[in-house]
Amino acid sequence: MLFSSLTFLYYFLPLTAGLYFLAPGRMKNMVLLLASLLFYGWGEPRYVLLMGLSIVSGYGFGLLVDRYRGKWPGRIFCILSVMVSLSFLLYFKYANFFLESIQAITGQVLPILRISLPIGISFYTFQMISYTIDVYRGERAQRNLIDLAAYIAMFPQLVAGPIVTYFQIAGQLRNRTHTWDQAAQGIRRFVVGLSKKVLLANQLGELCAAFRASEEKSVLFYWLYAIGFMLQIYFDFSGYSDMAVGLGNVFGLRFPENFNYPYISSSMTEFWRRWHMTLSGWFRDYVYIPLGGNRVGKGRQLLNILTVWVLTGLWHGAAWNFALWGLMFAILLILEKLWLLRMLNMCKGLSHLYVNFFVLLGFVLFDAESLPQAFANLGGLFGLGGAPLVSAESVYCFRSFAVILLAGMIGSTPALRWLLGRIVKSPYGSRLCDLAEPVVLVALLLIVTAYLVDGSFNPFLYFRF
Amino acid sequence: MKRKKKNTMICILTVLLLTGGLLLSLFLPGSTYSDSERRSLAVMPGLSWDGVWSGRFMSGFEAHVTDTFPFRNSLRSVKALTAAGIFRRQDNNGMYVSQGYISAMEYPVEAASLRRCAERFGYICETYLTEENQVFLSVIPDKNAFLAQESGHPAADYGAIEKQMEDMADYAQYIPVSDLLEKADYYRTDPHWRQERILDVAERLAGSMGTELSDEWEMHTLERDFYGAYYGQAALPLPPDDLYYLTGASTDGCQVYDWQNGKAMPVYDMEKAMGRDPYEMFLSGSLSLITIENPQATRDKKLILFRDSFGSALAPLLISGYREITLVDIRYIHPDHLGQFVDFEGCDVLFLYSTLVLGHGEMLK
Repeated sequence: MLFSSLTFLYYFLPLTAGLYFLAPGRMKNMVLLLASLLFYGWGEPRYVLLMGLSIVSGYGFGLLVDRYRGKWPGRIFCILSVMVSLSFLLYFKYANFFLESIQAITGQVLPILRISLPIGISFYTFQMISYTIDVYRGERAQRNLIDLAAYIAMFPQLVAGPIVTYFQIAGQLRNRTHTWDQAAQGIRRFVVGLSKKVLLANQLGELCAAFRASEEKSVLFYWLYAIGFMLQIYFDFSGYSDMAVGLGNVFGLRFPENFNYPYISSSMTEFWRRWHMTLSGWFRDYVYIPLGGNRVGKGRQLLNILTVWVLTGLWHGAAWNFALWGLMFAILLILEKLWLLRMLNMCKGLSHLYVNFFVLLGFVLFDAESLPQAFANLGGLFGLGGAPLVSAESVYCFRSFAVILLAGMIGSTPALRWLLGRIVKSPYGSRLCDLAEPVVLVALLLIVTAYLVDGSFNPFLYFRF
Repeated sequence: MKRKKKNTMICILTVLLLTGGLLLSLFLPGSTYSDSERRSLAVMPGLSWDGVWSGRFMSGFEAHVTDTFPFRNSLRSVKALTAAGIFRRQDNNGMYVSQGYISAMEYPVEAASLRRCAERFGYICETYLTEENQVFLSVIPDKNAFLAQESGHPAADYGAIEKQMEDMADYAQYIPVSDLLEKADYYRTDPHWRQERILDVAERLAGSMGTELSDEWEMHTLERDFYGAYYGQAALPLPPDDLYYLTGASTDGCQVYDWQNGKAMPVYDMEKAMGRDPYEMFLSGSLSLITIENPQATRDKKLILFRDSFGSALAPLLISGYREITLVDIRYIHPDHLGQFVDFEGCDVLFLYSTLVLGHGEMLK
């Protein structure tokens, strides 16, 4: 089920919230779990069983790791648990990628599996792995299967994050408070996220779709598409994270932040501290540091960075363009570690340009369906491939999407937040904001509803991961 | 305290909106047809294990909720106004408004589609016609030809479309009519042309096909507002059109037969005029095969008119020039079946199609 659907907004959410707040304390997690299973099963009924299997195996292994903590069986059970979780991911997400790659290299014809990617498998697998590793590292295992299942299947963050590690939330699962203030804060975040998704990301998606469908590509169109997609993916994903954090607040849970205006970064190092922060944090805690992190020699450290970023790329998709995307960031991060960061610090203006330029190229690579298409699109940005500078269609799209692109560019910086902060601090501003805020939120919800009633373009980009 | 009040207000308003939407969805009587969008709405799917397991129930439910959401038409207008007014979008779902006229972007027009149309027309000629038949072709430009460039919307090269059709349909004599048309010849809220403004087109066609029109026309106004097909799709608050229709001795005295339903019918169907799409009053709308017999004809000429819906408004104007006109819409009848119903001997044949259909050649059977 999509957050940005009428079914979610006007059926699932009010009914779930109603049942949740009517349920007595200990039953609340049960309501959340059942609602989450319905939420997940709505889009993928057959994969509910797979997620259930993953949860039960993680639960069992967690207990075993806890029981044999500090002894060799504990280590074995932890490794087994990680392997079982990864095997689901490898089979459903990467099996065909490996088969196709072997086929391409050896020329041998191999059978391609007819499997579809279970929604959110990359997210809940990582959460499951973090749980057993944390237990192995000394945290207490969860004895209550319902609580653990409610954590893994928690619908606000189940299919597209943020990736919440168990021990960030374990205490809240047992004991949490609900207040009007917290719920209002959650509604605020949710409506803002929903608006980012429906009013900006979806419309930017229409621009990208128009580019892909066009037979009149031009240099201007390549740039419109690249900028459009860069903004679309930001508003799509950060909008989803806002909605997840907001819903968490409504249900008394505090999820970690996932985005912090990444496009204002002045280095790639900073960009990855602002973009999909929970994924970067996961790779840092469960891959980079166990590999030795910064505590090893320079060569090994650089190799670790390379490993982590190729894995990060492949986490986003089972295709070579994703691996190349991760590799590009690895190279830039290594260069920054060696000398580039010092240079960037000397020239702030240029450093923002550098970050956004490479992020833009990266997302063109990211969005391509194949490597040849990726290179064709990258070449098109610089006039390679014989495309004219402008075409009638690109000029039209520029005119039609100019306001949305501008709104997207402004909205991806803290400018609006800064402006609101200034208004609130002014003598009448605070009173005006108090009066206007509820009206604006309801108006946004109504406009979003209008777009959902009329619209058909509504994919979530990060669902495919 | 003030903050607490505001937060409580935010929660209450949100709960009211979402639960209100839920209750209205559940208890307001739903419709099965959208008059404004001219389409059937998705119905609630039946609940079955197979449907749930395959996901068909869920997708059907989502489609049903979207189609029958309370105040759907008003919300679609809110969306259209937001897109145009706030985001300054130049079109809304491919529809745009220019100089008070609503039009649908028809761009690009694929050459392959034009080829297919020419090939289908050629197939009819090869199958049924001899050298004794005179064959004509005419292309009606859609509204975009007069609106798009001025408003900065991408537009097909209509001159090139006519040229391509003329070249590919070398079995037919081409009769140009685009020079006789301007935007005012079309309804503001509908894709079609206005009957009362295409008398010159009818005269050009008749003259080029070797006949003369002799009617004196009386203009009538339809006693209701005409909101055309584009009105509902654009979902913008625009004034309605007036719909006029012309009658003369030939339209009053002719006999029209609908072969699809096997019944006689009037030239102007007043029941349809009061129905969902008033434009369907012209020869009762989408019908595959119609004959119009004119007992008052002074010539023994017969015409077979292969046409789309634009032909419905034009054909009545041609009646005085012919003893019989047969209207064929090969979107609804396969050309292979025509031999059973139509005698092509000694008939003139006119392929009269708008660019709206020529650009979607896959519609032709």
